[in-house]
Amino acid sequence: MMLAGTIWQRELVEFAQRRRALVIKLAFPLLIAIPLVLSRAPSIYAAMALTMLIAIVGALGAGAVLTRERQTGLTLRYRTLPVTPGRLLIERLSTNSAIDFVQLIPVLVLIALRRPSTFAWWPALLLSTAAVLLIGNLMGAIASTLSQSPGEVMLYVVIPLLPLLYLSGIFTPPSEPALLVVSRLLPFSYLHEALLGALGGQPNLLPWETLLGGLGFLVGAAGLTGRLGRRVFESD
Amino acid sequence: MRVDTASERSLLVATDLTRAYRGGKGVFNIRLRLAAGEVVGVMGPNGSGKTTLLRLLATAATPTSGQVSWFGSTNARDPSVRRRLGVMLDQAAHFDEMTGYQNAWFFAHQFGLSDELARERLDELFSWSGLSEARDQLVGQYSLGMRRRLNLVEALVHRPSILLLDEPTLALDYRAELDLIERLQLLSLTGTAVVLATNDVHLAERLCDSILFLHQGRIIREGHVPELLTEVAGSKEVQLQLNSPVGLEAIRALAAVEAANVDGDTVHIILARGANPAQVLAVLNGTADLVSNMRVRRPNLGDLFLKLTGVALPVAHR
Repeated sequence: MMLAGTIWQRELVEFAQRRRALVIKLAFPLLIAIPLVLSRAPSIYAAMALTMLIAIVGALGAGAVLTRERQTGLTLRYRTLPVTPGRLLIERLSTNSAIDFVQLIPVLVLIALRRPSTFAWWPALLLSTAAVLLIGNLMGAIASTLSQSPGEVMLYVVIPLLPLLYLSGIFTPPSEPALLVVSRLLPFSYLHEALLGALGGQPNLLPWETLLGGLGFLVGAAGLTGRLGRRVFESD
Repeated sequence: MRVDTASERSLLVATDLTRAYRGGKGVFNIRLRLAAGEVVGVMGPNGSGKTTLLRLLATAATPTSGQVSWFGSTNARDPSVRRRLGVMLDQAAHFDEMTGYQNAWFFAHQFGLSDELARERLDELFSWSGLSEARDQLVGQYSLGMRRRLNLVEALVHRPSILLLDEPTLALDYRAELDLIERLQLLSLTGTAVVLATNDVHLAERLCDSILFLHQGRIIREGHVPELLTEVAGSKEVQLQLNSPVGLEAIRALAAVEAANVDGDTVHIILARGANPAQVLAVLNGTADLVSNMRVRRPNLGDLFLKLTGVALPVAHR
């Protein structure tokens, strides 16, 4: 029997014990990615669909779990633990993001195998994926404070996510200079650029620019997570 | 963090503690002082604010106004404060996809226990709680009573200075309740202070040094148990089980009746010292088949609450 004494260990143990969920979590992104990556679909469409997939994977999982915990009373129990809410949220969301990342590794490997010549984009792709997963988890955590049920959390995640994805320029490239600036202020645009590059498309940024963007959002999301602990765990 | 000398003498001091919710619910201007080894019971009907008060004292909720000082500190987020609190909230919340032992191990470590100490204490507590055989079973498969017992294990494992228990006997069988009373009495002797929210009058009378009666979020009476019981000493509680509803006005109009209340098909009547239960039956004269059962007994804390408020405490569920 695996025993966990810390918050991050507990997340991993629970995940590992849920075998059925483990299989579904690994198979689901791969089933979406296989036709996109292996077919002759234009890379701009494949990058669009995969960006949406990665953003949704992060946000929905965290949102549903935290809403269920709020309903069952676990959030109240967390409040009585001798741990600050910021540290609690960082440990939980970073572990969840790492689990989500593992879930997406087969997809990333598939892209690398399909387009080995685009290896210059891989560091940017890894970092921007991690950043979008952490930000997605954070969005899900905030949405959980507004939701009464795990089903409702989907609504509160998708409502802000779709406009943000649009503003990131993943559906249509931004034509106006102002929209281009807005897209660069959103993490999804860097993931989209990295995916475009890795899939052999025509990105607007260079690999190192995308890498820096992804890194910046990853660091920023980690800082924001610590600050939002009280909002997530202490709101009634 | 603020430290004052008065707070240092008491383990816990609540001053004008208020938590207001929409619709007028909550708790208002609660004052409470808890010394080492003291056992305080909080009694009141559903919605009276017992759970809200326990959550405030357990750092699970923040007050609208007023404050709580734990061991001299008013910082509810101070990890050193929380490490000395043992909390059993009203909801038996656990990680359902993990076993009982995995759950308890996690909470034991969160409160700073080493592997060795956690193993030793959990072995003893699982045996005490009767959960040894179910320790490797997923909590999702536990009954409510088992989940509540696991809550008790988790609240006790780090040997806290203050225990805050919300309805600790809810869903426990009689044997488990006796074991709990014995354990809490021992802990009290060794200096652990206990606050328990309960409507179990037998638990309260056997265990508590003093009682707070909460009604509509406010303390309506507080005192030591023997002192409170003298207020109803000599009077009698009459329980009439009825076949059909009856108006209470005629019963309440009797000089000998101090309070009367209906709970389902049972009328609870508190008779004044020296009064004869036959007086009540005389009021129901001519409706002999109305009463299916009658019981007269010594009054308890629940009867005092009924006398004070006109509201009966709900029967404690077991």
